[in-house]
Amino acid sequence: MSTKAIVCRCEDVTLADIQHTLEIGYRTVEEVKRYTGLGTGPCEGKECMAQAARLCLMALRTDGPDKNDAVVEPFTSRPPVQPAPLGIFARGDEEP
Amino acid sequence: MDRRLNEVPHGERLTLQFEGGDVTACAGESVAVALFASGENVLSRSIKYHRPRGFFCLAGHCGACLMRIDGKPNVRACKTPAKEGMRVERQNAFPTGAFDVLGAADFFFPKGMDHHTMMTSPRALNAVLNKVVRQLGGLGKLPDLPTPQERTVELPRPRTKHVDVVVVGGGPAGLGCATECARAGKKTLLVDEQDRVGGSLLAHPQHGVRAANEALAAALKAGVEVLSSSTVLAWYPEDAPKAGAEPGLLAVHTPDGLLKLTASRYVYATGSYDQNAIFTDNDRPGVLPARAVGRLLVRFGVRPAKKPVVVGDGPYAKALTDALAKTGATVTRIDGHAEQITQANGRSWVRSVQTSKQRTIKCDLVAVAALPAPASELPRQHGVPVAFTDRLGGFHCQVDEDGRSPVPHVFACGDVTGFGGIDDAISAGARCGRAVVASFSGNGVGKSA
Repeated sequence: MSTKAIVCRCEDVTLADIQHTLEIGYRTVEEVKRYTGLGTGPCEGKECMAQAARLCLMALRTDGPDKNDAVVEPFTSRPPVQPAPLGIFARGDEEP
Repeated sequence: MDRRLNEVPHGERLTLQFEGGDVTACAGESVAVALFASGENVLSRSIKYHRPRGFFCLAGHCGACLMRIDGKPNVRACKTPAKEGMRVERQNAFPTGAFDVLGAADFFFPKGMDHHTMMTSPRALNAVLNKVVRQLGGLGKLPDLPTPQERTVELPRPRTKHVDVVVVGGGPAGLGCATECARAGKKTLLVDEQDRVGGSLLAHPQHGVRAANEALAAALKAGVEVLSSSTVLAWYPEDAPKAGAEPGLLAVHTPDGLLKLTASRYVYATGSYDQNAIFTDNDRPGVLPARAVGRLLVRFGVRPAKKPVVVGDGPYAKALTDALAKTGATVTRIDGHAEQITQANGRSWVRSVQTSKQRTIKCDLVAVAALPAPASELPRQHGVPVAFTDRLGGFHCQVDEDGRSPVPHVFACGDVTGFGGIDDAISAGARCGRAVVASFSGNGVGKSA
């Protein structure tokens, strides 16, 4: 077993993965998500998105004084926010 | 091993089938709690490096405890009530969850796998390896085929419902808000995803089961309808509950199927998600958020550890430290600022931690009291603006002090507006409830119910 600092537990995304993503120039949570897969597992970012935003902000602030007021945005919240069995959506007809 | 505290009443004993062996559970426990209380440590393997994982949040939010239960893959063990004879298996491992040869992936990629650069030449070998990877990839295996009885079960029909006020989340803020609304005569529905309403009250040694029961009793007495074990999945702005009706509804996954819910006022009291600290091997089983440790102790009466380390300097870390000491545990507390954890050691369970002050602390549990992140996905879907504030835990809803959002008829209160803890949530919930009630009495903002 080797040592890793995990940021996104669902997709095994490490701190080193995110640092690499920031090193090659990405700065938004959305980009970090798309590049590493962070936030795309069963928890949908509940454990990692705030952490990723924090790392993006830190990177932005090291870019220069003009980035001190930079803001970070969350990635889009899409339905469903919790996993659900497809069976509950399968019937179109409603109870009278 | 039995980690249940004797001085706390437990439910009727029952037996789970865990990978061919018997494991004792008590009625009222989830599968994850029953396995922990009986001494099982590893519940799953991680998706890429097959690292051993135990449960983490114990609240149905993270993805750490997905197991195969009664032949169904990817079921959250922490949200599944233990039942007699239930078949529980670890997934994502070969040959077994306890010994997984695929864990070699972790060893062979010490610096991690970058899938952007993972190609093999020649092309034919790449194609073969792609097939292998597809076999190994993904989470779990397909469910068992349905039995003849299961085949005849009809899928549940969706239902519709309209109320004056819907409150999403049954923690201290949501319960208080719903109670205020119902007292003012509004038809109020409280939806909570847990089987037991109370939210973070059930994780706090100074509040606990009694406080949760009192808050629930007050809500019920005021006339709140409580829908527990029901998860609000999404806000669908374009869907109408019935043909010709105004679009916009909440989709709720209830034990009886889908509920299309509409309301004259929507209140999001969705609370906050537990977070981990970032250090080497911070995903070791036994590294838990402080509130998960609190839930084990306060809600389930299970002794979390004999030698825990509590990380944090806030009031909750202090309260948890005291409560753990009362169970006879030897607790080490580090503040998480001046002294931080740098590494966790151990394989299937944490055995020691190293700190930034070059200390090595032997332990059998790490309770991390990191700032929880506001659970703002649903209000975001509903158009409520959010902002990132570090000291408030993450992306929090932007509302006024009474919980009014810029979106008409939509409110938010409690930790979802920025982490503040239980006392803040109680007062914010009551304030928000009064604001919701006031919005009905013709100031031009509210539409009539």
